[in-house]
Amino acid sequence: CDTKELHDLNINPQALNQVNLNLIFTSAELGIASNGTSGDNRYIDWRTNIGMCAYAIQQLANAGGGIAPGDKYTVNAETNAAPFDFTYNDQLKNLAEILKQSGPGGFGEGKYLNMRQAARILRAFSFARLTDFYGNIPYSEANKGTEGIFFPKYDTQDAVYADLLKELDEASSALSTSNPDEGFAAADFIYKGDIAKWKKFGYSLMLRLAMRISNVDAAKAATYVTKAAAGGVFASNAENVWVAMADGPGEWTNQNGISRAFDPGDGGQPAYLSATLVNFLKGTNANSAADDDPRLMIISGGIGDWTAAGYTPITVDPLKQKGMPNGYDQPMLDKLEGQAVILPKTYSRINVKMLQDSDPYMIMNYGEVEFLLAEAIERKIGTGISGTAQSHYEAGVKASMQMYTPYDASLTVSDAAVTAYLKTYPYGTTRPALEMIGEQMWVNKFFNWWEAWNDWRRTGFPKLTAINYPGNVTNGTIPVRLRYPTNEVAGNPNYQSGATMPDELTTKVWWDK
Amino acid sequence: YAQEMTVSGKVSDAAGGEIAGVNVVVKGTTRGTTTNDKGEYSITVEKGKTLTFSYIGYITKEVVANATILNLSLTAEATALNEVVVTALGISREKRSLAYSITEVSGTNMTAAREANLGNALAGRVAGVNVSKIASGPAGSSRVIIRGNKSLQGPNQPLYVIDGIPMDNNNFGQAGLWGGSDEGDGLSSINPDDIESVTVLKGANAAALYGSRATNGVINVTTKRGTKRKGIGVEFGSNYVFEKFNDLSDLQKSYGSGAYADGVAVKPSTQTQAYEWGDDSWGPKYDNSQYVGFDGKMRPYAYQGDNFSRFYQTGHAFTNNLALSGGNENQNFRASVTNLNSTTIIPNSGYDRINISLSTNAKFGKRLTLDAKVLYSEEKAKNRPNVSDSPGNAIQSLWRTPGSYNVLDYYGDPNKPGAIPAGTDANSLSVFGKQVGEEFQQASNNWGQNPYWVTHQFIKTDKKNRFITSGSLKYQLTDWLYVSGRVGLDKYQRRAEGLTPEGTGYQRGGARSMGTWNVQEINAEYMVGVNKDFGKIGVNAFVGGNRMRWKYDFVNIYGNGFNVQFFPAINNVKGKSWDFNYQERGINSLFGSAEISYDGFLYLNATARNDWFSVLNPESNNTLYPSVGTSFVFSDAFKNLPSWLSYGKLRASWAQVGNATNEAYSTNLTYSLNGNPHLGYAMASFSQAMGNNGTIPNPNLMPLTSTEKEFGIDFRLFNNKVAVDFTYYDQQTTNDILNATISKASGFGQTYVNVGKMQNRGIELLLTVTPLKSANLNWDVSLNLAKNNNKVKSLIGNSNELVMEEPRTRNAYIKNIVGQPFGMITGRVQKMSPDGQPVFYNDGRPVGSAGYEVIGNGIAKLTGGLTNAFNYKGIDLSFLVDFKWGGDILSGTNMRLTQWGVSKQSLQGREGEAPLTVTGVTQEGTEYKPFTKTLSPREAFDYWQSVGGEADAVTPMYLYDASFIKLRQLTLGYTFPKRLLEKTPLQNLSISFVGRNLAILFKNIDNVDPESTYSNGNSQGFDYFGFPSTRSYGFNLRATF
Repeated sequence: CDTKELHDLNINPQALNQVNLNLIFTSAELGIASNGTSGDNRYIDWRTNIGMCAYAIQQLANAGGGIAPGDKYTVNAETNAAPFDFTYNDQLKNLAEILKQSGPGGFGEGKYLNMRQAARILRAFSFARLTDFYGNIPYSEANKGTEGIFFPKYDTQDAVYADLLKELDEASSALSTSNPDEGFAAADFIYKGDIAKWKKFGYSLMLRLAMRISNVDAAKAATYVTKAAAGGVFASNAENVWVAMADGPGEWTNQNGISRAFDPGDGGQPAYLSATLVNFLKGTNANSAADDDPRLMIISGGIGDWTAAGYTPITVDPLKQKGMPNGYDQPMLDKLEGQAVILPKTYSRINVKMLQDSDPYMIMNYGEVEFLLAEAIERKIGTGISGTAQSHYEAGVKASMQMYTPYDASLTVSDAAVTAYLKTYPYGTTRPALEMIGEQMWVNKFFNWWEAWNDWRRTGFPKLTAINYPGNVTNGTIPVRLRYPTNEVAGNPNYQSGATMPDELTTKVWWDK
Repeated sequence: YAQEMTVSGKVSDAAGGEIAGVNVVVKGTTRGTTTNDKGEYSITVEKGKTLTFSYIGYITKEVVANATILNLSLTAEATALNEVVVTALGISREKRSLAYSITEVSGTNMTAAREANLGNALAGRVAGVNVSKIASGPAGSSRVIIRGNKSLQGPNQPLYVIDGIPMDNNNFGQAGLWGGSDEGDGLSSINPDDIESVTVLKGANAAALYGSRATNGVINVTTKRGTKRKGIGVEFGSNYVFEKFNDLSDLQKSYGSGAYADGVAVKPSTQTQAYEWGDDSWGPKYDNSQYVGFDGKMRPYAYQGDNFSRFYQTGHAFTNNLALSGGNENQNFRASVTNLNSTTIIPNSGYDRINISLSTNAKFGKRLTLDAKVLYSEEKAKNRPNVSDSPGNAIQSLWRTPGSYNVLDYYGDPNKPGAIPAGTDANSLSVFGKQVGEEFQQASNNWGQNPYWVTHQFIKTDKKNRFITSGSLKYQLTDWLYVSGRVGLDKYQRRAEGLTPEGTGYQRGGARSMGTWNVQEINAEYMVGVNKDFGKIGVNAFVGGNRMRWKYDFVNIYGNGFNVQFFPAINNVKGKSWDFNYQERGINSLFGSAEISYDGFLYLNATARNDWFSVLNPESNNTLYPSVGTSFVFSDAFKNLPSWLSYGKLRASWAQVGNATNEAYSTNLTYSLNGNPHLGYAMASFSQAMGNNGTIPNPNLMPLTSTEKEFGIDFRLFNNKVAVDFTYYDQQTTNDILNATISKASGFGQTYVNVGKMQNRGIELLLTVTPLKSANLNWDVSLNLAKNNNKVKSLIGNSNELVMEEPRTRNAYIKNIVGQPFGMITGRVQKMSPDGQPVFYNDGRPVGSAGYEVIGNGIAKLTGGLTNAFNYKGIDLSFLVDFKWGGDILSGTNMRLTQWGVSKQSLQGREGEAPLTVTGVTQEGTEYKPFTKTLSPREAFDYWQSVGGEADAVTPMYLYDASFIKLRQLTLGYTFPKRLLEKTPLQNLSISFVGRNLAILFKNIDNVDPESTYSNGNSQGFDYFGFPSTRSYGFNLRATF
């Protein structure tokens, strides 16, 4: 009765016992853009990147509709859970399998030399995102479910950072053009297997992470800033990390998760810009367009109705752009404006040209690298960085203003406009240098709102005024972390002993000092 | 030449009352008569021939005609001492020989007052069978649990066997955290009109012969068959019932649409305001002034009346059944066709079913018998209601509608209900951000649908065609040795179509899907058996084997948005995607059974079965399940027992059953390609985790084992007027196969593991009393009771807790916890200071606990039913009251009703209402300070948002005792006397009033039915905007020709 025929029933005709690991790498690359292989790539963006970060960091505002705990400092389970639930299970699971199978004893041992290093860089990128959100996270025991670790222990954030920096160091230096390609170029839809760019990504990410811990571990920060500068970081917008997205075939995996989250045809988040951001972009003199940030009418698509049928601007006059204040509900806005406010006729929106389903997804850009270098020089962290803080700041502003063309070819800023802006707001004069760097990083990370939030938590820039909406859970302070998902709280026995406590929006993570 | 004689006499029952209408037939001929009103008969017969006396409800008696006066009494079947029941593998046995408890429910119990789903029809009927009626509508599925949940997670529902053929009871989807609808189960395919009887094999002992799949008991359905009779019998039945909404709500009627602005409750004064927060009922007290609605229209700010009765309609269910049957000594047949048409209380939804069945039995010569059967069903469900979460959930939208609206204000375009009507002004369209013809949203929240849009514009249909066919042959080699074989096929195709129409709030471009399931199960079985008596010792034994193959494939095509607007064809969708799922499973089995009896009062049974599973790796893919049992009829063994003891039997048994509950392909880690390449780049990942929630395979899985001991006593007293059937059982599951929810940081959502121990111990009691019995009057009372104690004894590794389900309110979890019963409800509670004082924020909101605390259990401990049947001269009245005791339900509905300001609870603390004062402590660092505060209206609002919220919830406030007593069924019928029908072609005619779920006699929960759990899954005890409570009543007509 125990026949081969019976056993053969348990062979899945749709599955393979071994696979070309490059195919898993492609999954992971798509995964880093909002965890695009999980089947709902707008989930994190909708709930967390927008729902918490974009509002908390006051680039967007929300008077109702969508999910917006970041606007009023309330609690939303999905906002808290999304990164945890959709990162370990998405790109990190795939990256862990690549590293396992291309490592000792794996079926791909000794192969995929460069791809393996690229996988380590994407892994560091993803874990950094997680620990920045929560503080302590499962790390050393994470993604070992197939080895029988079902409830991984939590590692402290400093331990996680120490290892991520070590990983980036090893991976970036191990990448080599003399390694065989082994199918990497055909699988890597970000850089098409360009090893030099991958190295720069590794070192640029190292620079980001090193600066992030600079308030709490200056020595380690200096070590890795120095290594990053020596290794070579991004030098132009051509090296920016974009994940290309597409109109299809599947809206849940192939389309841009941020665009999808705002899609007016899909119950999405309203796309109103925050007054804080609009006022910054409008410059010192609200009544003059001359001192405006050239990005004002790139980021803002104007005031108007955006429906599934299309976007109908009422005004694209920069002087008439108006942001919505954070922390207001409809009756409060009516009172503030002294009339019944029709939101779409009143407030500026994100430019629809950057919210197309097939628009690429920004992962990391050159502008940020320049600002980090400027800050490192200002704060004398690390050695070996050429140039001056100002030269890096100005290169950063230029890069930042000129990086939008991949969204739409019309979103250009001329060199002259950049120069004029820098002249209008001279470095270190308009405001203290570090504050100006912080403000620029903030604008630069439009769309990467979680990163803008990280920077603000670390630097305190831009200077934001917290709101105090009735019923908020932070006592009127801007949230500084996410709570763990309910299933971790309820289900992982290691939570009580290892997680960052108290598990509140107001508890600062280790590097936040 | 044989001598003819006239025999006459009187037929009476056990109590001495005469029985009218008894058929008296000369055996082997067509000659016959019936007894008159006094029970008397007279018939001419050849001397020495046999007379057969038969009457419905009594055991047929045969008497040799050797005297001219023959008086005799017939024994009622219900108290018959040598009842025969269908046991495992379809084998009929004398009930007295059984070492375990078995319960039979007659098919007539299911056809009077009806449930579309067989499982629901069993509610309250059988001790130890816990039926949960799911709040998902009449086309929904059922949850039937026998003697408690045996697996921490695996399917805990029993195996359904139709005429010996196991049936696939696959579930097509349940509502969960994110809503959805109950897509029905396999059981709904069964036509109650075709059911002769249902036997429930409760314990492992009873089911051991079925092996693995009988771990949770077996429900054996025997369908009707033709019998030997004169001519062709025609049976016609018609049943018509109304279904009415049963309004259990008790909501506030003095505050309407509005919100707090600057601490003051205001009603909307602009359309934008109304649209932004108009569907919350936090406005000021009604003052009959004018206010602006979401549609920009002015209307009086006053209570607009009951919206439930405006929205819900009367449902109708009309069933017609026609059956033909006939037969002689050697052959018989039965053919039947049944049509059910129904609509529910929700507009535009319903369920239709056609059943066709054909069965035949034939005897060829003396030794060969053939039994063949085809059951065909076609089911169509229209717009199964979405429950739980809000998208597409009309029920939720209705609950939320502020009292200041008439829900008909939401109707919109009369030609396209729920849509923005033509002529809507530009300003309104701008507020909506929408066009004419799109969803007429009553509020800006895209996820709370316009209820008419849901009922009239959404499409959600499914259709299932199913064949259950079987054929068996039995060849009697000698009079004591036989061989038999049976092949059964259960095959169905299901097609489900969905349309989220263009213009829907959360999916403005619309979406379309079309899925097709093809499922089949084939069982082939053979047996060799002996049945022989050696003096006082009888032997009944057989050996056999079975081969089961199950195949499943599913193709789904879907897409969002349409290339051409308002043409919702699947070929017109943009970004067409598809899914494909394929699985096969098989089980090979060998089994044997032996029963030895001594003198008809002592029986010893033993069985063994070995199953080999395809879903496990060969190293650990099989296991042997034994059972032994004994039955001792002491009333026959000892002759000097008191005369009031009519019958007595002791029984004891022990058995094991094992199972492999994991899915196919879950033992080995494999990789698959993602169905949709990205920009032409192929992608791969784990087969087991293409999405977010994969399951880690486990190569070392082995079958789980359920071991059960059972002891029982049956006795009957006072000439069978009192019957008691009592059982004690003790069941334990070890090495449970669990798809355990694990930390997502593992990279997966679940893992298959062999873990844990769980125990069920309980008692079952069936008490039947016949207080009155005479020719004209009969009164039977039957009470069944069962109490089950469940305990989780160990779990995975060192973990003491495993999480199961989470409700949409996100402040609770169902967990399995070591030392506690299965399925504990845990929730966020208020934080307590070290000396036990509740902790508050300074504004009076409660501070929530850091973790989850046990607050209740969703599974009733005590279940039962009480049936009363009176019969007086053709009039019969019977009712079934059933009850459940000791379970809890966490009501998300009540949480939300308060958050929205709809419930009466939400009144407390509003301006001019009873003040809301909180007392406890506040915390600063490690210091606790006494705190008492009477909250301002705005603070009270925040308080009510918080207690049912996610952050600082106080879930015990919404935990209710789910105990209930319900008048489940009532029938009042009249059977026309035969003499009135003499001049008509009718042989029998009865008409009855029938009612189902007529009244909730006891409940303990506000606003909703205690049976409001929205899913039939293992996590029981969450209520969240399920299908409302309904009652149904109507008429039933039966006629035979």
